[in-house]
Amino acid sequence: MSLGVNFIYGIMKVINWAMGEFFMVGAYVQYLLIVLFLGVRYWYIGVFIAALSTFFLGAFVQKILIKPMFIGIIEEKTEYATIVTIALAILFRNLAILIGGPYIYTPPDYAPPTHIGPLPLSGNNFIAFIGTIVILAFFFYFLKKTWIGKAFQAVSQNRTGVLTAGIDVLKFDTIAFGIGTALAGAGGALLAPVLLVYPLCGVIPTVRGFEIIVIGGLGSIPGVFIAGLSLGIAESLGAAFINPSFIDIYGFGLLMLILLIKPYGLFGKPERSV
Amino acid sequence: MNSERHPLLTIENLVKDFGGLRAVNNVSLNLTEGEIHGLIGPNGSGKTTMINLVTGIYKIDHGAIYFFGNRIDGLQPNIIAGKGIMRTFQISRVFKDMTVLENMMVPALSQKQSMAEARKRSEELLEFALLTRLKDEPAKNLSGGQNMLLQIVRGFMNKDLRLYLLDEPFAGVHQVIKGVILRTIKKMNEEKGITFMVVSHELTTIQYLCHQISVLHRGEMIAQGTMEAVANDPQVIDAYLGG
Amino acid sequence: MVKVKLTYLVSTLFLLIALVLPIFLTDYWIYALTITYYYVVMAVTWNLLGGYTGQFSLSHHTFAVIGSYTSALLIIQTGMPLWTGMLSSWIFNAIISVLLGILCLRMRGIYLALTTWAFAEIVKTYIRMDFEFTGGDRGLKTALFFKTINPLPYYYLFLGFAVLTIIVIALIMHSRIGYYLRAIRNDEVAAQTMGVNIVRWKVFAFMAASVFASIAGTLYGHFTGLISPVSGEFYEMALIIIFVVIGGMRSQAGPVVGAVSVRFLAEILKKWPEVRMVILAAVVILIMRFFNGGIMEFVRRVVQRAKRGERREPVSAYERKE
Repeated sequence: MSLGVNFIYGIMKVINWAMGEFFMVGAYVQYLLIVLFLGVRYWYIGVFIAALSTFFLGAFVQKILIKPMFIGIIEEKTEYATIVTIALAILFRNLAILIGGPYIYTPPDYAPPTHIGPLPLSGNNFIAFIGTIVILAFFFYFLKKTWIGKAFQAVSQNRTGVLTAGIDVLKFDTIAFGIGTALAGAGGALLAPVLLVYPLCGVIPTVRGFEIIVIGGLGSIPGVFIAGLSLGIAESLGAAFINPSFIDIYGFGLLMLILLIKPYGLFGKPERSV
Repeated sequence: MNSERHPLLTIENLVKDFGGLRAVNNVSLNLTEGEIHGLIGPNGSGKTTMINLVTGIYKIDHGAIYFFGNRIDGLQPNIIAGKGIMRTFQISRVFKDMTVLENMMVPALSQKQSMAEARKRSEELLEFALLTRLKDEPAKNLSGGQNMLLQIVRGFMNKDLRLYLLDEPFAGVHQVIKGVILRTIKKMNEEKGITFMVVSHELTTIQYLCHQISVLHRGEMIAQGTMEAVANDPQVIDAYLGG
Repeated sequence: MVKVKLTYLVSTLFLLIALVLPIFLTDYWIYALTITYYYVVMAVTWNLLGGYTGQFSLSHHTFAVIGSYTSALLIIQTGMPLWTGMLSSWIFNAIISVLLGILCLRMRGIYLALTTWAFAEIVKTYIRMDFEFTGGDRGLKTALFFKTINPLPYYYLFLGFAVLTIIVIALIMHSRIGYYLRAIRNDEVAAQTMGVNIVRWKVFAFMAASVFASIAGTLYGHFTGLISPVSGEFYEMALIIIFVVIGGMRSQAGPVVGAVSVRFLAEILKKWPEVRMVILAAVVILIMRFFNGGIMEFVRRVVQRAKRGERREPVSAYERKE
């Protein structure tokens, strides 16, 4: 999730507040696929298709809504992006309620619960964890090794410079946005049996995702990992030593701490003004 | 209105680093009151950085800046502006969603002039700059040249203006507007004794306008003096032709 | 000159209507309008911060929540009288908002949004977590402002406060402070070089907006008798933004018009809460995409056309002083 938002931000300097909703769409698609077509055995195909569909949905959204920001029609860019993506989030959420009903759907387990030594382990969590690692691995390979990935890196570093190198920045924007949303969708599909599928299932991931981004720094991909880990550690430590019912706060506490010391997050890059 | 000439701005051994890059390297400069000083040099030589340092937008790393004998480095930009130093930007930074008139009023209001007073002054200056017709126009509707002109006259709203730093005021500007700008600079200099430092690439204009010139190259001051002296300096020629 | 008179006339007219309206309305609608006036205050003050100064805060609703909880808790825990509790709450809020404002000083749009968003989430989560103290999700019962459940006195209280807020914000925006704030939004660095003390005025905008929000929040809390962390949800903030965007972000009347009309729509569509949100969200997107100025922009153009025939002379958005 954070990766998606950060990636999009790195390329377009735009924060997509509706990422959680793409997550939710992914979850829904996955659920439908499994229940109607594929059956639980082929859940990984479902994830792939879910990611693909959110990719296209995201690209579509980007084309009609975000792109105009960059071709000179819209003036106040950050304001516009924030408002529009927030509105989009609300739109999707309510649309989901309308279409699917306010119910909670439980997809069947991807894998049965097992054990690692004496510790019980939920099959779904395990799958989600592995799945995430796989996706992340793919993403990194893509970013570092393929020429498209390198092109993306170039775009995030210097938008205008890339133009002179002959890259169609706008098209890259669309693809980048799509990739970001695909990541969210994949996340939704992977986590469907864990978090369950309902219209607001994107809310918590959004909150967590943004927490991670603020801690790790906007636009920084390694930041996401460090932040994600730190968040997890902070929460567990806090829950273990201080008070388990306050668990959500620890993450935010860490967040505020980091903000006070390093207002741009651990690895964020401040913007130059003059 | 005294005709005595004394140093208005003294820059001593100024150093500014950006990470590993030394943008300004041990630059010293003196401006006497009432002069029009030109600052030239190839691209990237640190001219804009100099202006940013004087006006407090960047913090200096070493050295000192004195204005009328008082140190001003380290002060906030708005305080420096209050002391009588104004500047323009290379890419015109006017307040786009505000009208031309409103743009004009901002510097005056920040000096605690009354609204009425500020408005009156704005209208006078706009008249002088031939911009009256546009006074209620949102600044974003202005052409590039008009924007630059607006930027420049806006600075004159500062009642206590003693030093005006102009960053590439002629770049990409229509001949007619350029004429207005030149006229304005000369008039303000002669009638009000305002000191100017003009950064520009247009050497003929600089020659016409400026009494003294400084040349920056790669963050270092390589020559100072009149245009003739400087133009024949081998180091300067080298800087412009070499690279 | 004619324009200014027209505005005063229209405003007074609306005020008179508002004063007289309760006679014709059922208790339910009076209640609904009272809540609307609360939102008017929230919208108008957020516009000061976000629309005019360019500090796009996502924690405006949070100050209302902090306001209501602080006041309620102080009264419950220490037994202090109502007004003392409220006043203390406002002062507390002012301090917090100044701190937040200072924290956010160096942040541009996106970082500011993120930080304020984080702040909002923290507060909301805290209220939910510390339920022994705050009542958590169950809510907290508050002392009532007027010792009655009849909404009528509250109607006038909120109306009065809304009018006061509108007037104060308008005065601020027409004064030199308004110039500073708008300059800051347009170009912070240029504003500084023109002598504007951006530190002071950015923090001022934060403080002013948040104090009003906290007053609104305390009034709200002592009106409804029950407060809950739901008011701290992002949804509330999104509502405020919707009001302001639909009404017109950079006008004085915009937030008022937006709040009233959208609330009205919301009440009509009460039976289909999701549909109305879909419609509202879609409208917001459309407005941002195509018609960036909301209702007031539309009104302005119509008035322009009417007054000047068909001559299309562009006029400053700020000339129409409401």
